[in-house]
Amino acid sequence: MKRGHALTPVPAVPGRLLDAQLHLLDRQVIDNDGVPVTTVDDLELSGPALETELAPGTAAPVLTALLTGPVLGTRIFGGRPPSSRLIRIPWADVSEVGVVLKLGVSGEHLDAGWVERWIRDKIIARIPGGRHDPR
Amino acid sequence: MKRLLGVALGVLTAIGGFVDIGDLVTNAVVGSRFGLSLVWVVGVGVLGICLFANMSGRVAAASGRATFEVIRERLGPRAGLANLSASFLINLMTVTAEIGGVALALQLASSVHYLLWIPVAALAVWLVVWRVKFSIMENVTGLLGLTLIVFAVALFLLKPDWGNLAGQALAPAVPAEETAPTYWYYAIALFGAAMTPYEVFFFSSGAVEEGWSIKDLVQSRINVLVGFPLGGLLSVAIAGCAAVVLLPAGIAVTSLSQVILPVAEGAGKVGLAFVLVGLVAATFGAALETTLSSGYTLAQFFGWSWGKFRRPAQAARFHLAMIICLFIGLAVLVTGVDPVLVTEYSVVFSAIALPLTYLPILIVANDPQYMGQHVNGRPVNVLAMVYLVIILAASLAAIPLMIVTGAGS
Repeated sequence: MKRGHALTPVPAVPGRLLDAQLHLLDRQVIDNDGVPVTTVDDLELSGPALETELAPGTAAPVLTALLTGPVLGTRIFGGRPPSSRLIRIPWADVSEVGVVLKLGVSGEHLDAGWVERWIRDKIIARIPGGRHDPR
Repeated sequence: MKRLLGVALGVLTAIGGFVDIGDLVTNAVVGSRFGLSLVWVVGVGVLGICLFANMSGRVAAASGRATFEVIRERLGPRAGLANLSASFLINLMTVTAEIGGVALALQLASSVHYLLWIPVAALAVWLVVWRVKFSIMENVTGLLGLTLIVFAVALFLLKPDWGNLAGQALAPAVPAEETAPTYWYYAIALFGAAMTPYEVFFFSSGAVEEGWSIKDLVQSRINVLVGFPLGGLLSVAIAGCAAVVLLPAGIAVTSLSQVILPVAEGAGKVGLAFVLVGLVAATFGAALETTLSSGYTLAQFFGWSWGKFRRPAQAARFHLAMIICLFIGLAVLVTGVDPVLVTEYSVVFSAIALPLTYLPILIVANDPQYMGQHVNGRPVNVLAMVYLVIILAASLAAIPLMIVTGAGS
């Protein structure tokens, strides 16, 4: 085997190596109280737009947010929703990555939970017994 | 002592909860047309459901993840959505069949037309899903469902020719008046009835609902490995009753009243009373399980908050989804479609969808990231691979056989 044809090895990085496909996408996200918030429907990366010429020395893109909402539809059927339609959970809110992604904040105030809150406040909580523990 | 009681309770509810409208109808139809010559399929199905229910329970206990979260994570959004669509539609069909079954059972008990019972049944299902605790729901319907043992009692009281029955069961052959494709079509239906995917969705989600940890696995294993086979024996007793009474009389089962006819003949009025309670409990219990399963699958795919251990307001989309499903089932039933017919189709479609559920479970049960040291052992994997081949064969053969036999007619 000729050494010259070998791929350049992955540069050593401090910390844990995560594979976006294997460890992040389509994993359950739960908030700091253990309540499910959403599933990771897509990821948002910083950095230069697609198909632009990269100047040497450009910093590598950074994971900025977990995405949910209409982006699930476009991930399945193709296309891309306008940036304003993306529902973001900032990566800074993620406190732990395991079989689930744990957030360090409460899901109660996240944009990702608005459909749940709307259905809760407008429908479910108005049906008798909706706010009580099952007996 | 308390632990022993817990085990006994778990086993009893597993027996009572095993039989649903699909098992009742399919076993009676098969018994009335093929005698006991298809009993081996029940055996194959029961072993399969034991294997995969146990596996999904282990995944849930080790990782805290229920089946459909795992399916989405492993298959990705595209294949996951295709899987969700198929599983969800078949489950909806089963919800419809079970609610129709409750209504038919209540009609048998009250002589009030079943269409009038349908809204009552759907409302009762919703109330239990809305308000009753998971464990109470499980235990009450499971224990009442045990009264279906009267099928076994009736079989003894009918004093059948045991040698003849054993001959049918041990040396299976296609009866002279049936064709081989029909025989295999009903084999697939029986297999689908025994292995319905909702049982796995419900079992793994139930493990999360009840907060199982690895410590509880021993008990869950006993529940499954003792309860399900005994539930399978109940299925065989249903087929046996039909084989003894209906087959010689040339009656092919097309309604629920024919399913319980042999019990009335063998065990009289008392038997009839028991079997009616059992029918209502078994179909009602299964209606609860399938309704919950429709909520579980949707919520787990999309990552919504779910579970009966939460207040409905804390799992709003989950509860709304179940309400909508019940309305759809209700809308289908009030068209007057025969619930028995819906049942017969639902078990075959279940068989078609089986690989979609069982393959991802098998993959994750081997993933150390989820399972730690509790990954599948080699014997389990070998058996599961054998089952995957059987499941795939049944799934692929189902539609061609359905067309060739005109859905078994």
